[in-house]
Amino acid sequence: MTSPAVVEVGPVKGPTFAGGRKNSSSRGSLTRQKQRIGFFAALPAFIVVASLLFYPICYAVWISFLKTDGVTSKFIGLKNYVDIFAAPLVHQVFVTNLKFLVAIPIVIFLGLFSAVLLYQEIWGWRFFRIIFFLPSVLSTSVIGLMFRSAFTLNGPINSALISMGLTPINFFARANMAIFVVVLALIWAGFGYAMMILLSGLMSIDTDLFAAAEVDGAGWWQRFFYIIMPSIRQQLAFVSIINTLYTFTSLFGFIFVMTAGGPLYSTTTLDYLVYQKAFSAFDMGQGSALAIVIFGVISVLTIAQSKYLKNDDGR
Amino acid sequence: MAARMRKFKWRTNTIVFLALLSVAITTLYPLFYVAMTSARTLEDYVKNAYGLPKFFTLESYRILIDNYSLGTAARNTVIVVGASLATALIFSSLAGFALAKYDFPGSKVINWSFIAVMLLPSQILIIPIYLLLSKFSLVGHLHGLMFVYIGTNIPFGVFFLKSTFSAVPDTILDAARIDGAGFFTSFFKIAIPNAAAGITTLAVLQFLGMWNELLYAYLILPDQGMRLLTPALASIGGRYTTNQPLVAAALCITATPTLILLAMSSKYLVRGVSTGIGSS
Repeated sequence: MTSPAVVEVGPVKGPTFAGGRKNSSSRGSLTRQKQRIGFFAALPAFIVVASLLFYPICYAVWISFLKTDGVTSKFIGLKNYVDIFAAPLVHQVFVTNLKFLVAIPIVIFLGLFSAVLLYQEIWGWRFFRIIFFLPSVLSTSVIGLMFRSAFTLNGPINSALISMGLTPINFFARANMAIFVVVLALIWAGFGYAMMILLSGLMSIDTDLFAAAEVDGAGWWQRFFYIIMPSIRQQLAFVSIINTLYTFTSLFGFIFVMTAGGPLYSTTTLDYLVYQKAFSAFDMGQGSALAIVIFGVISVLTIAQSKYLKNDDGR
Repeated sequence: MAARMRKFKWRTNTIVFLALLSVAITTLYPLFYVAMTSARTLEDYVKNAYGLPKFFTLESYRILIDNYSLGTAARNTVIVVGASLATALIFSSLAGFALAKYDFPGSKVINWSFIAVMLLPSQILIIPIYLLLSKFSLVGHLHGLMFVYIGTNIPFGVFFLKSTFSAVPDTILDAARIDGAGFFTSFFKIAIPNAAAGITTLAVLQFLGMWNELLYAYLILPDQGMRLLTPALASIGGRYTTNQPLVAAALCITATPTLILLAMSSKYLVRGVSTGIGSS
């Protein structure tokens, strides 16, 4: 009765994705001509990636040493980096980014909450699973605009406040209120994806463990803490890492449609600041330098998190 | 059936069901509200934003299509997403199949280089790509954006399809080879049909990514008349804060195709989403 779901949700462990033989035994029999065919089949993709990704990355590093508006340019060495580390605005924006991290524990909690409940296979759980995942297929600009419309000064949230006899709040005129609304949007948009990942972890738990725990008389909470949590450690790490990356690199859509960084830079995130420096202030050099610094920051964060969260993952 | 967490008693079951239902309502109500808002007149919205509309009207949709050329935006989106998706899928399948089954010198390097660029944030790329495209006068042209979408979608595509094609049994491929099948015969007659589910999953994921993309679409097609749907929506939403039915209609137009796709292909999405972890 449960097996179709397991096959459907857990392809990572299933035959479709992991069944292939690693070492092709036919290598010896492959003639050089066949190797050449393989090379030429991979070549178009490689050329595209080389010209549209590798080359631009090197170019970005070069631009970060220039003072340039895209038309004229002058080599200024590391000055862009020095300016970035010295600028109070960059520090402020970095702190703002850290504030948006508040959404992550809530996203993980809600994701875990719904994943564990869905795992009980309550009536209609497949339907619920798709509903919870629904915001994940929407564009960040759709979600951002929905929340902006809802929380705008004469919008539905404020008319609800008024009808309850409270004073309306101008959410987007106050720094912390604006951040609050964006965080709310992040949670609404993000918990379904976390749920999906965590549920796929739950589905791959060996059910014998539960049977054994039941024989030993373990209660629901004991099974939750001693079986479920250790088993989905890898998925929890993944969700936490991917959400941290997301907070540092992918809030552009939300900020762009909801607050445009305001009021007074108070909701400007690092990725939005790159866009502003490059395409509003036309300082491409400093924009590139900032992008490279962000890449450094998220690399450190990712490595630290995966070390910390996966250190005893010996399965 | 083995006991999972042991089934709850019916009373607990009811509580859990109600908890899930309330989360589902929290998720669905905003969408329902937007759909309702899009189908009412502005006067009706101002008078009573919460109730059902006095009468349903598609006036906001008509205004968007007539006055804000959202029809053109939809057409451009279909062209860009369709062409980019097709090209990215063809290149990724060829490379994925070659990397999975043809162990040629340099395949490891190519494979690892694709995985490495997958981890790069888009902000690093946006400035140099913009400068390069403007150097070749591709800013303001649909195919400039297509290049970007093809390039940025190939690394994950190759990564994903390499693992999909690895699962195609070598025995079938060997048998075909003995019968004289060359690369393309094996590719089209055996690999593609055997990996159809994986390719569909990838197509759905990448379609959503391209359809919903804002930053490149906004910067590379700056001209109002050339806009794709998502950036067009973003600018309509930015300017017309007082006309909520109009904004809501624009939201519905942008969101509906992705919601229909979710309804049709939830099976593929569920499995595609859980595949990401295999890599970490």
